[in-house]
Amino acid sequence: MAELVGGHGEGAGHHQVTGIDSRKLGMWVFLSSEFLFFGALINNYLLFKGRDFGPGALYPVELYDIPFTSISSFVLLMSSLTMVLAHSALARGDQYQTRTWLFATAFLGVVFVSGQFFEFGEFILHGLKLNINPAASAFYLLTGFHGFHVIIGVLMLMVLGFKSMRTGGLSEAEGLNVELVGLYWHFVDIIWIVIFVLVYLIQ
Amino acid sequence: MAEGAQHHHPQPRQYVQIALVLAVLTAAEVALFYLEDGVEEIGQTLTVPALLILSALKFYLVVAMFMHLRFEKPLLSRFFTSGAVLAGALYLITLATLGAVILF
Repeated sequence: MAELVGGHGEGAGHHQVTGIDSRKLGMWVFLSSEFLFFGALINNYLLFKGRDFGPGALYPVELYDIPFTSISSFVLLMSSLTMVLAHSALARGDQYQTRTWLFATAFLGVVFVSGQFFEFGEFILHGLKLNINPAASAFYLLTGFHGFHVIIGVLMLMVLGFKSMRTGGLSEAEGLNVELVGLYWHFVDIIWIVIFVLVYLIQ
Repeated sequence: MAEGAQHHHPQPRQYVQIALVLAVLTAAEVALFYLEDGVEEIGQTLTVPALLILSALKFYLVVAMFMHLRFEKPLLSRFFTSGAVLAGALYLITLATLGAVILF
């Protein structure tokens, strides 16, 4: 992959004194700053989840379906595998496998987000509306914001996949785009690793 | 990416092995959750630290192996780690200040 991301093609002009392609450096800095966004939302949820909102108040924790969320988590975790396999296939110059794994990753992302929509629907049916109390608002804000990130990732994967289909394969310069989308995708996965434990499992 | 970094990247077979480890760690997390519910003697004093350690392991495996941070130039690791540690410290202090967690 060194050649693909090293900038020997169109990306050669993006090198800085650090020796790292500036777009790649930018992505890592962006992901680092994303910790603040997600940290704030996790913090917000942890602050409100234990508060007393009066008798009969409904809390997200009472409605969690751990087996269902565990399967969703597993699906997202496996999408990280398919993403890294797409990256690896491109490094080997295998365009067919690159495309296959990119679409597989997007599909797993869609499955995860569909699961999240289903979960939200179930919660709302049970009366846990967005504005029922601050704990519910914080839960929907955190998981919804994460889901929004997954949707953005799916769109980027689809763009890469369809571009590969249309042009017959991704060029060396586009290899960096696969790597950048991959970094974003893995980041979304690690944020879910944290959410799954702090929000769902530690009650 | 560091010069010659691609030679150190894992092969597809190794990626699958890492994914299997991640799946086992996730299963262990879920098992701990039910263990806490089922066996009162164990309680949260044991399961909470265990869950945090397991998730930290998963976090490390994805960042180091799938995001290839282990094979990248140290500058990227510094950026990423400092962001994570500073955000974590900031929010831990906030939670402790507001009484949501007890540090000591």
